[in-house]
Amino acid sequence: MLAALRFTPGQLRGVLAVIAALILGAGITGMTAILAKSAVIEETTSQSGRLSVAALSLYQALSQADATAASSYLTAGTPSDEMNQTYRVAMRDATVALATAAGEVKTPADTALVAELNARMPVYTGLVETARTFNRLGEPVGATYQEQASTLMREEMLPKAHDLQENSLGQLNESRSDAAAFPWAAAALAAAALGTLVWAQMWLSRKTNRVFNLGLVGSTVLLVAFAGWLTMASLASASHTNRSHEDGSGPLELLAEAEITAQQARAEESLVLIARGEDQEAAERFEEHFKALTDQGRLLDRLDEAFADDAELSANIDTAREAAETWRSGHDEVVKLAQGGKYNEAVALVVGEDDTSLWASFTTLNDALTEATDVSAERFAESTNDAQRALAGAAAGLAALALGALICAAVGIQLRVAEYYA
Amino acid sequence: MIRHQIRLAAAAAACLVLAACSQPADMGPPEVDVPTPLPSGIDFSPEIDTAPVDESCEPLASYNPGSTTAAQALAQLDSQDQISIGVSQSTNLMGYIDPATNTPAGFDIDIATAVAQAILGPDANIRWVPMTSGEREDAVNGDRVDMVVRTMTMNCKRWSNVEFSAEYFHAGQRLLVPRDSGITGLADLAEDHRVCTGNGSTSVRTIADQSAAQAVTVPDFNDCLVLLQQGTVDAITSDDTILAGMAAQDPTLEVVGEAFSQEPYGIAFQKGNTDLARFVNKALADLIADGTWQTAYDKWLKGPLGVAGAPPSPQYRD
Repeated sequence: MLAALRFTPGQLRGVLAVIAALILGAGITGMTAILAKSAVIEETTSQSGRLSVAALSLYQALSQADATAASSYLTAGTPSDEMNQTYRVAMRDATVALATAAGEVKTPADTALVAELNARMPVYTGLVETARTFNRLGEPVGATYQEQASTLMREEMLPKAHDLQENSLGQLNESRSDAAAFPWAAAALAAAALGTLVWAQMWLSRKTNRVFNLGLVGSTVLLVAFAGWLTMASLASASHTNRSHEDGSGPLELLAEAEITAQQARAEESLVLIARGEDQEAAERFEEHFKALTDQGRLLDRLDEAFADDAELSANIDTAREAAETWRSGHDEVVKLAQGGKYNEAVALVVGEDDTSLWASFTTLNDALTEATDVSAERFAESTNDAQRALAGAAAGLAALALGALICAAVGIQLRVAEYYA
Repeated sequence: MIRHQIRLAAAAAACLVLAACSQPADMGPPEVDVPTPLPSGIDFSPEIDTAPVDESCEPLASYNPGSTTAAQALAQLDSQDQISIGVSQSTNLMGYIDPATNTPAGFDIDIATAVAQAILGPDANIRWVPMTSGEREDAVNGDRVDMVVRTMTMNCKRWSNVEFSAEYFHAGQRLLVPRDSGITGLADLAEDHRVCTGNGSTSVRTIADQSAAQAVTVPDFNDCLVLLQQGTVDAITSDDTILAGMAAQDPTLEVVGEAFSQEPYGIAFQKGNTDLARFVNKALADLIADGTWQTAYDKWLKGPLGVAGAPPSPQYRD
């Protein structure tokens, strides 16, 4: 085997083997890098069945359920059909999201979070139903059950859902930066293959006094094309992936946070009245949530900033802000009424069915944010589609180029080898 | 032979690669604590107050009504056409929002209404201001309300911050337990019994001094009822009026034992506002005399407390 290298045909075959190995390596690593990018983009685009999506909708559905359960307690056991429906839909969304998340978790920490949330779900609904029953019977202890349900939600369930969401977003960002990474291994192998090809041609022209070996020239051209395509596809998809994060998933997370904050403020507002004005902490928590939503530089301002150049989304945020202002002044009125002993009127203002009630302003705010979420999700899907388009055909194309380069090199060298036996 | 070994190695390598790719990290079922719903702020080992009790005064002695008039009392109100009264809206039977009507109701509310009508006439405009027990003293002194009628025990410590009317109800601390618990009083409480009470209440000390049980405190004593129904605590201690309000909501519970404390309820006023206190004492004497007190007692407390009940006789210091 080694003896063969002393003869030129053997040397030629050795050179071919090195070139072939390098081209094959570049082709395979390039193709896998591109396929992995595609897979990550697929994962970030897909709106169903993914952990981050499930965790977020779980978090939202839980806080929506709690806001509605607390509100409907105030209706003295006779909530409107709309409220009943909202609660049921929220509980369904939460349980479906939890089941989906259970199938998607990949770390022991996330598995534990899902299990802990699952274990608390029936405890929460049990407390809510007990509260409803006592409320219907006219027993004031129902209020305490409702408070306990909200405490369980606020102090245990929502933080766990939030942790799950944070973990999943962390994992997503990790794979996102993997996807944006430049495929250095493939690029290095391609460069090495090119270098070897050039050297081989110089060596051959010295040995054979022929300037060009058409096979090797062809192989070089194909490899240059390979390297160019690899670079362009990687850079383009990286910029699209980053843009989709900035324009799409970033604002999406912000919108979800705003929605959840509004829902928690709503739950606290109801708790103040459920505690008959004797829960100062709930009143303080309401203020905190509301400030997080509307204060300068907080959630609504940040959303405005994120959507500054998008008329449709800006309009939604304007609607949300208007509703928040109406809600705010209505809430101050409620506090005044409750403090002044006009409990009935305060309750009517909070959960009444007419357009001036706080339920109406909260719903308007919530709906505006939901609509913005839908639009923003569409934008996100568009930009990830662009990213995928940049990669479309790249894997197959790169494979074909690498294969072409390999065949050309083999033919070019084989022809020289054949000359020795001619 | 060599070729065979190579194949074997290759097969082994392939197995390794496949195994690494297809088998997820080892994840057995996670261990999850049994979720027990608890109110926020619950304390399973509250500190026991050991400061000596202030007994430097005669807590029942209020101001003699004398010849104070309604006009003099009216002049003391923050507003001339309405009276603001601090109450509880969450103490069943005493001061609570009737869930059926969403209006304030209870024994304290009836007494407060009668007093307000004595000052402002039968169409008295009353502003009910809900508050926690911790807010009561600041509320009268900070002009948030004209008076507080909220299961407020008269004692020397409080006398130094507010003025009190004469006693309008005599309560005492007892125990609320499940009917089948076998507990009939403080003496039956064992070391493994948990007794729930409101935080900041004097009951924590009573439980520590007079029984073997462990006190558990919560910010709102209504949480105690839920904890008792859920089996997290074995008994509740509080004023018998408050316990009666809990027993009325659950037929499997009963108030047991002798009262182990004296809780005379008084109406509180701003410190120094003795004119209002004097006139209210007159109003209280009147409503005891004309049967209003007994009617209110019969309506709210007679059944749940199981005793006929008699109005306290007023004591004055001058």
